[in-house]
Amino acid sequence: MGGMSRPDIRQLQPEPAPEYEPDLAAQLVLVSRGDHRAFELVYGELAGPVYGVVRQVLRDPAQSEEVAQEVLLEIWRTASRYDPDRGSPAAWALTIAHRRAVDRVRRENACSRREQKAAEPEPAEDDVAETVAATLEHQRVRRCMDGLTGLQRESIKLAYYNGYSYPQVAQLLGVALGTVKTRIMDGLIRMRDCMGVAW
Amino acid sequence: MKVTVDDLHVLTGSYVLDAVSDAEREEFERHLPHCPTCDAEVRGLRETAARLALACAVNPPARMEPQVLAATYRTRQLPPLPAPGRVLHFPRRLAILAAAASVAAALALGITQLTAQHQLDQARATAIARVVTAPDAHVDTARAAGGSVTVVTSVALHEAVVSTSGMASLPSGRVYQVWVMSPSGARSAGLIQGSSLLASAVRPGDQIGITVEPAGGTARPTTTPVAVVPV
Repeated sequence: MGGMSRPDIRQLQPEPAPEYEPDLAAQLVLVSRGDHRAFELVYGELAGPVYGVVRQVLRDPAQSEEVAQEVLLEIWRTASRYDPDRGSPAAWALTIAHRRAVDRVRRENACSRREQKAAEPEPAEDDVAETVAATLEHQRVRRCMDGLTGLQRESIKLAYYNGYSYPQVAQLLGVALGTVKTRIMDGLIRMRDCMGVAW
Repeated sequence: MKVTVDDLHVLTGSYVLDAVSDAEREEFERHLPHCPTCDAEVRGLRETAARLALACAVNPPARMEPQVLAATYRTRQLPPLPAPGRVLHFPRRLAILAAAASVAAALALGITQLTAQHQLDQARATAIARVVTAPDAHVDTARAAGGSVTVVTSVALHEAVVSTSGMASLPSGRVYQVWVMSPSGARSAGLIQGSSLLASAVRPGDQIGITVEPAGGTARPTTTPVAVVPV
């Protein structure tokens, strides 16, 4: 697993990183017991990433706000279902957030049948980019993204940041279904190793 | 259309990015409990996807916070799921192991026919109790195949008790096999059948590894370990 690249990546970790995850996990335990103060702390940590990823997928600020609220309330409601053995609190919460946003996109597409819209690739990232704080996390993701092949990068961006299904990604990029599935898979693995993700 | 296991494996990335159809998602999630390696991969890739989200964090409008906080006062929380085999904290775990060992020993004694197998179980239970209650007992825990593995080692006794909990169940024909791994190679410590297993002749610097092997086990590990715990 990218043994060579790990040491220098570790040095790039923001200082509070080691404290962050365990603390949030402990707060979630308190939240599951109905602790509103603990939820305020969890909100403080997760509202930004939750709103950010939902907005990245949905684009519309009003709709993003509505979905982000639903997601944060879902974190309150299902805190007892968070299992630290299955991943970090952030991964748990952001999985809920991304899925919720994608579900909203799919439901709307099914209603309005505006599938033509999906045929036009949008720049995957940049219109929200100006509001993104230049965080270390952002720099690291960008640096690791730069290490991917063009097809890996575009496939991951279109799938994750735009909420497209892999058949839609294949259509947009004009490549075979199997190719997209494989590029998403090996691209993500390369990202994981590049960022030194612990799991 | 029948999907092969290889197809499903390649789908892991798309699954994690929510880029699959509902039908594919369901199929993948049915497959997951039978595939410890897929499960581990999902976890790693989910953490990776979370980084993609963290990288695009944006401060939400300030009005959102009071609205969400107010809504929590009107929203009932879900109760926890019953969790058999959850990881216990050490003192409780030790007590339970020791209690289980003595119960097993008592049962073994009380059972009508004291067969060779029962004597073996009893000896094993006593040995396990001896390790977990040893003054130098040392505990290490690692994640493994969706669950966890706890290794209690007594260097003085050269023995280690390996217990697992919540690990993904395997398809028939596959078993979890435990290895004592040293610089000179890997030696089988047996198959995971019940909750705990005793590994003997363990030395400092060895590692305990768990691999998925064909039923009956093998002489040498044939797959990448799902967990490695230093002793």
